[in-house]
Amino acid sequence: MSGEADHREPAERSAEAAGDGADAAAGDAVADDAATGAVRAADAALPEESLLRVRDLDAGYGDLQILTSVDMDVGDGEYVTIVGPNGAGKSTVMKSVFGLTTYMGGTVEFDGETIHGRSPDEIIHEGIGYVPQNENVFESLTVRENLEMGAYILDEVPEDQIEWVYERFPILRERSDQRAGTMSGGQRQMLAMGRALMLDPDLLLLDEPSAGLAPDLVQEMFDRIDRINDDGTAVLMVEQNAKQALRRCDRGYVLVNGENAYVDTGDALLADEQVRKDFLGG
Amino acid sequence: MGISETYTRGRELAVERPFVLVVAAVLALLGFDVVRQLATPGGLSTARLATYLWDGLVVGLSIGLAGVGLSMTYSILNFANFGHGDYVTSGAFAGWAVTWLFAGAGQFDLSTLLFIGSLSTTDLGVSILSTPLAIVVGLVVAAAAAIVLSLAIDRVVYRPMRDQEGIALLIASIGVALALRYTIYIVFGQRTRGLTDAQSVPELALPVGGGQTLAIGGHEVTLVVVAATLMLGVHLLLQTTKLGKAMRAMADNEDLARVTGIPTERVVRFTWIIGGGLAGAGGFLIALERGAMNFQFGWVLLLLIFAAVILGGIGSIYGAMFGGVTMGLAQNLSLVWIPSEFSTVAAFGVMIFVLLFKPEGLFSGVTTA
Repeated sequence: MSGEADHREPAERSAEAAGDGADAAAGDAVADDAATGAVRAADAALPEESLLRVRDLDAGYGDLQILTSVDMDVGDGEYVTIVGPNGAGKSTVMKSVFGLTTYMGGTVEFDGETIHGRSPDEIIHEGIGYVPQNENVFESLTVRENLEMGAYILDEVPEDQIEWVYERFPILRERSDQRAGTMSGGQRQMLAMGRALMLDPDLLLLDEPSAGLAPDLVQEMFDRIDRINDDGTAVLMVEQNAKQALRRCDRGYVLVNGENAYVDTGDALLADEQVRKDFLGG
Repeated sequence: MGISETYTRGRELAVERPFVLVVAAVLALLGFDVVRQLATPGGLSTARLATYLWDGLVVGLSIGLAGVGLSMTYSILNFANFGHGDYVTSGAFAGWAVTWLFAGAGQFDLSTLLFIGSLSTTDLGVSILSTPLAIVVGLVVAAAAAIVLSLAIDRVVYRPMRDQEGIALLIASIGVALALRYTIYIVFGQRTRGLTDAQSVPELALPVGGGQTLAIGGHEVTLVVVAATLMLGVHLLLQTTKLGKAMRAMADNEDLARVTGIPTERVVRFTWIIGGGLAGAGGFLIALERGAMNFQFGWVLLLLIFAAVILGGIGSIYGAMFGGVTMGLAQNLSLVWIPSEFSTVAAFGVMIFVLLFKPEGLFSGVTTA
């Protein structure tokens, strides 16, 4: 499958996708469909110009290949979600963008620059922030020190940016001298995001921000992500809470077995019967 | 807040943290006995008790100073560096060669001075009062030499193995230890050599009550002051500087440090610089206080250093400082009750006792790096 070719005939491919979708039953069959048709449904929804542009990406860990020919775009200020079954390679896409996996082929471009094959400390300079799923705060450091570490690559601690983060997450100001390890899961998640926002990135990568949070906190977390996005930061997020995430995002990708399966606006994916049945629990 | 509540809390404490109660009981018993002995005519004199405390502090700080580097490399590089004791020795030999050179140039044969050879230490007359400059220069050189050595060894031995398990690194470090020790042996010989002029070391007499005095040696004071200053320096570095915070961050979570943009190799380099520098300075000061050294004093000391570091919670530098002082005090205060042949047994006994109840060490999980 070629991403370039896909762009040319959106209407035809949409029709094809609809037809294939109706026939598909098992997960494997869906994955195969991905290669032929379903993914094209979203071409109409693609951003005109991509901030992040992933094409034919093959990546994995060591000798183990996880991603096969993955295409993905995030426009300037766009809010994109990746959903899919366990082990589909959702987090791997994100890690690959951030230079944390073994690069095996394809291209990753950010803001017109090729970034695949580069290390995280180089990529961070380009304006991408990454929040890992687990152990994403320095537990023995205070809240403020965690934020300072987020801006390590700057010569001086950017007080105005700390202030900016405090305004968005007031609890962090209250707890600024508390050690991060003593905070609750929700507060840690906020701190992890705050740390990643310290360099005011153009793109924020969020790996399961709602994991392990109580249901009422999940809502709050999504609200905060909305606000970050409203402020102009593009967001690429992996989420278990697929319905929630798709409802809020601009566009969603469904990934199966390390390959693109569907891509469309969040609402369109939610409305798609096949997607609902296979990935969203009906 | 009634009696019953107090009682309940007491019972909870006894059930959940029996360690605290046992320690409190043992310490109370020992404290009571010390008071009893002090009160007994012809028993323990205040001067003797003060001497034990002072000696314990001196020994403890020297162990702690050497232990800080060991604990730092453990927390940031994730391996127990068995070569650390020989960094201590190497620094000491380099430093003392320079101190002798400074103090004796012109009066004695240069090669004898440089190889810390056989000559009358009384004639050379090295002490903090008579040749302060030579001592200061030697201290700086000791630290610098140990820094250069640890960076060079890291480059040649440890960096190519950065991704290996801790055990592989540990075994490599034993090899480094042997290589260093016998290099020193070949260059300087196996003789235990006197370094300072005991006669010219000033002594301070501190009154401790009852007309008795505590004699404090000038070199002991030097060790205590320099060690305390260096530890305070490390504390300030870790807590207030960007580099220090990055060190703590990396000790805490190396993967996260990397995705945060912290240059991890640079942090590793600074860890060696600080750890090596403290080892070298520590070695020089220990030799100064003892007035003598041989090619394996660091290696012999390493057992005590490890004990102190483990007691304090390996990986915590505050644990290393605290563990060192605890070991030193235990070793010396035990002399109140047992003969000096067994004082080291007492120190290790305290360590085992603590680890029985707190296997992860006193400071682990409280303050890393």
